[in-house]
Amino acid sequence: MVSERFASRWDTLAFVACVGLALVARALPERVQEAVAAGVRRTLLAPFLQVERQTSWLRAAYRESEAFLAERDSAALRAIRVEGLAEENRRLRELLALRTRLPDAGVSAVVLRQATPTRGLTVLLSKGTRDGIRPLSPVLSPRGLLGVVRSVDPTTSVAVLWTHPDFRVSAMTPDGSVFGMVRPRGGNPDTMTMLLEGVPYRDTIPPGTPLLTSGFGGVYPRGIPIGTVVAVLEEQAGLARSYVVRAAAHPGSTNHVIVLVRRLTDASAAYGPEEGL
Amino acid sequence: MLLLLAVLHFGLRPWLGNGRFAPDFLLLALLVYAIGERPGRAVIAGFLVGLLSDSLRPVAFGSAMLAYAVVGYLGAWGKAVFFAENPVVAAAFFFGGVVVRDVLVLLWGGTGDPAGLAWQLGLWTPLQGLATAVTGLMVLYVFRRWLSLRLSG
Repeated sequence: MVSERFASRWDTLAFVACVGLALVARALPERVQEAVAAGVRRTLLAPFLQVERQTSWLRAAYRESEAFLAERDSAALRAIRVEGLAEENRRLRELLALRTRLPDAGVSAVVLRQATPTRGLTVLLSKGTRDGIRPLSPVLSPRGLLGVVRSVDPTTSVAVLWTHPDFRVSAMTPDGSVFGMVRPRGGNPDTMTMLLEGVPYRDTIPPGTPLLTSGFGGVYPRGIPIGTVVAVLEEQAGLARSYVVRAAAHPGSTNHVIVLVRRLTDASAAYGPEEGL
Repeated sequence: MLLLLAVLHFGLRPWLGNGRFAPDFLLLALLVYAIGERPGRAVIAGFLVGLLSDSLRPVAFGSAMLAYAVVGYLGAWGKAVFFAENPVVAAAFFFGGVVVRDVLVLLWGGTGDPAGLAWQLGLWTPLQGLATAVTGLMVLYVFRRWLSLRLSG
């Protein structure tokens, strides 16, 4: 009876201690939190992340082998019918062109998937400082801007996606005539929508207009596709307008990304006029 | 078996399609551990699993530690209260673990807007709960001798 009571008291004590530690962890400065998380990733999680990295590569290789076989077949067909060349060219460019147009500015990384409900806000990438990735390195997909690196380990890095409430990027229209600030709209991430805010009332942006990064702020190079204007959301009488923007890059369907490791001022050459917009 | 579940979490989940409703093997490992342990040990195990989870997704550091610790503690107590050797009760046990984890992570983390919260808790959490419950039943069935369980129909 006594030992049962002692065990029960010990259970309660363990519960209180763990909850207390969790509260302390939540209240720690972000810098300390990042240090603890990085330490765990480098030690306890390292073998598991290696398993996931290998699995992701295996999965990618499996998918690419299917694509390779399809491309081989289509190449045989192309030998007979050259008109298929244009379509093949388009698909290959989407897969490879971004990497080749940023020859020494970007490294490719695999998106490692996790189970927690905050997965739509950040992603763990398979490359880190050993590949030149640093905090605030822009993360791109073939369709456009996906996010920005927040913290980096030697072999992995954590990127904040455009769906994160803290994400902001300065945007402009392709002709550079209208500027504004883009942030996530919230709600169901599958709606793929952002908000363009701070557009002067005198400027109007017609639906269907692509938005690109403006290069202001020094984090994102100019000319990366962000999304397409869908509609006006609200007007602050005589002051400014807000627009709904359909995002160019979908975090949920992105398995591979390019991380810019060298500072560029203009990345518009990497995205042709047809890229994702 | 717990190590196997952890390896499956990192090695098998990427093959299981959309990560939003693929079964959570880490949570499953915690709940299976909690079934056979005292609440004190289960809460410490939950805290450690939460630490791993928070390290992978440092969006709201500490929220997963709290959530998994509570899930481990409730799981160990729940085993004593609800006889988890019935498959339906065991499935509900795993489903409830996912729901409690997600509610605590999202509310305590404070990272979601109301609409996003509604989508997560109204759609994706139940789907992942179902997937985890089905996987959990399979795990209990396969390892029933090791766990000394008598699953009744």
